[in-house]
Amino acid sequence: MSSATLYSVSYALAALILNVIGFIIPPIRAPITNVDVVTVLAVLIFGALLLAASMLNTILLIWWERKLLGRFMDRRGAMHVGFAGLLQNFADGFKLFRKNTFQPAEADTLGFYSGPTAYMVTSMILFGILPISSGWNSGSLPLSLLLALAIFSFAPLFIFVSAWSSNNKYSLMGGMRSAAQMIAYEVPILLAVVSVVILSGSFSLTTIVYEQQNYWFWGPLVVALIVFVAAMLAEMERIPFDLPEAEAELVEGWNTEYGGMLFAFFMLADYLRALVGSILVVLLFLGGWTLPTWVPSAATSFPLAGILWFMLKTYLVFGLFVWVRASLPRVRTDQLLRVGWNRMIPLALLSVFLAAALVTVRCVPVFGCVPSAGA
Amino acid sequence: MSEMWINMGPQHPMTHGLWNLRVKIDGEMVLDVDPEMGYLHRGIEKISEDRHYNEVITLMDRCCYVAGFAWEHLYILAAEQALHIRPPERAEYLRVMSDEFQRIGSHLMWYAAFVQDLGLMSPFLYGMRDRDLVLDLFQAYTGARLTYEYMRVGGVRNDVPPGFTDRARKVLDWLDDRYREYDALCMGSTIFRERCDDLGILKANDCVAHGVTGPMLRAAGVRRDLRKDRPYAVYKQIDFDVAQADAADVTARYLVRMEEMRQSNRILRQVLDWLDHHPGPMMADNLPRWLGAPYAPIGNEGYLLKRSYPKGTGFSAVEEPHGEACAYVVNEGALHPYRVKFRSPVFSNISAARQYLVGYHVADIPPIMGSVDVCVGEVDR
Repeated sequence: MSSATLYSVSYALAALILNVIGFIIPPIRAPITNVDVVTVLAVLIFGALLLAASMLNTILLIWWERKLLGRFMDRRGAMHVGFAGLLQNFADGFKLFRKNTFQPAEADTLGFYSGPTAYMVTSMILFGILPISSGWNSGSLPLSLLLALAIFSFAPLFIFVSAWSSNNKYSLMGGMRSAAQMIAYEVPILLAVVSVVILSGSFSLTTIVYEQQNYWFWGPLVVALIVFVAAMLAEMERIPFDLPEAEAELVEGWNTEYGGMLFAFFMLADYLRALVGSILVVLLFLGGWTLPTWVPSAATSFPLAGILWFMLKTYLVFGLFVWVRASLPRVRTDQLLRVGWNRMIPLALLSVFLAAALVTVRCVPVFGCVPSAGA
Repeated sequence: MSEMWINMGPQHPMTHGLWNLRVKIDGEMVLDVDPEMGYLHRGIEKISEDRHYNEVITLMDRCCYVAGFAWEHLYILAAEQALHIRPPERAEYLRVMSDEFQRIGSHLMWYAAFVQDLGLMSPFLYGMRDRDLVLDLFQAYTGARLTYEYMRVGGVRNDVPPGFTDRARKVLDWLDDRYREYDALCMGSTIFRERCDDLGILKANDCVAHGVTGPMLRAAGVRRDLRKDRPYAVYKQIDFDVAQADAADVTARYLVRMEEMRQSNRILRQVLDWLDHHPGPMMADNLPRWLGAPYAPIGNEGYLLKRSYPKGTGFSAVEEPHGEACAYVVNEGALHPYRVKFRSPVFSNISAARQYLVGYHVADIPPIMGSVDVCVGEVDR
């Protein structure tokens, strides 16, 4: 399993394709089977696979949310298109694709179109840098966690750009709220991550996952997990922290003026970010693609086992977010700021101290030892 | 951001109907509001002057689309007084039963819309689901779910079908459990309390000054309910309490409406028991021929029949789910009323918007207006 990585698969595919073409058209065989050409094509295929995986998962995630929300609300969710409504989102997507894109008369064209595009693109990059299993790993960046969080926090800027250029008072207020919200959740999220970094001694997501082989970090760092999940809800702009698009007072907030495919961009990017948020929770606190050591090895030795367990955990974590959405009302901007600064930051700081203490002690009675903490 | 006016409405998720709330804001703060009504005016009072007494009932259902029975009852009481008719007792019990089921239905609709304004998704569907059971009951004895045309001058159209009371009791039992569930979802939630406590305060003297009535008035600590203070129909014979709270905020209005639904259950149990044991006629037996349901005579025939009938005026006041509604009907000796005038409680309640909206956040507008329970159909009529 560990031998076949995503990149090696892409490279093999690229080589295969080019060799087949070369076999059909012998004169260009030598130039196109050159190692540089194969590498370029392999990188392209690698990107295409990532893109396909991210889009497929996003759409599946929307289905999962619709079904879960339906059940929480005592109804069934999507039912008719495809098995159990699995293809409903594709139908909705095609419908949005066919719609005309409307631009308000006084809107700023550059901002109006670049906002959603940049929002979408940054969210896709985010999915590209996250390791999903030992094989699905786009290079072991030493600072991948920092990079992910940095790209994650781009979003309010693009939201604000598109809100401001929509030339709509509701959009503008939504954009303002998005910017204000960022102040509330960005610090707690980083502090919560710091305690994980202290415990694992690394900023690399792959290393953080392997550091959890004795125990998953959610046990000793449960406070950090709570802060991280709460701040993630704010980062993903989901209920109870979906103030920027609070439909009760702001119609649809910053994307009020967007329709058709531009709206689909926002929608897809929102769910992509929700997916990435769930993935980060799994990576940082729930052991990533690994299972506890007491699980029989048969459960982890079949092909693609890592991806399977990882996705299972991710969808369960996202199910938690859906549960929260189904049962909590929306907070107010000032209340979110108060919760962020008065509750989350002290809790996150507490967790940082806890992590430092754990590293000093190295071994905890219930959980076991950190493999290489502080080393 | 400098100060600016925004239009919340006429097409806005907050309005729950067709009206416009102009809001002057500075950032997130509300500096001034200006409610504008009139987008849904259909001239119901004027149209009534051209219609036979029983044909006006059709319009009453359209007055408030979530509380049709309350408005039917309101008009019928005034019309009967103007026409000197007394309905049989069983008809009055059936009217009270319809009224109270309508109150539950209307409050469930309010609950659904109110929690939706707060961003609560699931209780919205719970409220609508349970309201459906009430609508099913309406369908069972009137044939309609929203616009019933059930009450008549001099009685009601028909009796409830066999087995109806048992079915209604089952719905009441189910609803009793659901009220607990609603409370757990709302009062048990810290965020809900954070959002609703000390919000949209309208003290008792302000309520009186602006003519605000109904649950808003009772939430301000005033124990006033027309069913107790000016009993109509058979409310005098029925044992129930007036829901009341003291905080005068959104939470208090929530509590008052929840308690009213429980009290409605209590009233309904008594009414259903009475209906089981007291069969009787549906219509008054001394009705003049020109008023006979369901066919009213047309043209000269009716005028000739009616010429000798005594004139009169009728006034009625009913505790509608939204507040105190009043009606005035003038009978000048024609087949149709000479003049019909209504007082809509919601009109007064949202006219006082400046008193309970200014000084709060923009995000507070939907829950506050939700706690007012706006029904635009009766505001504009």
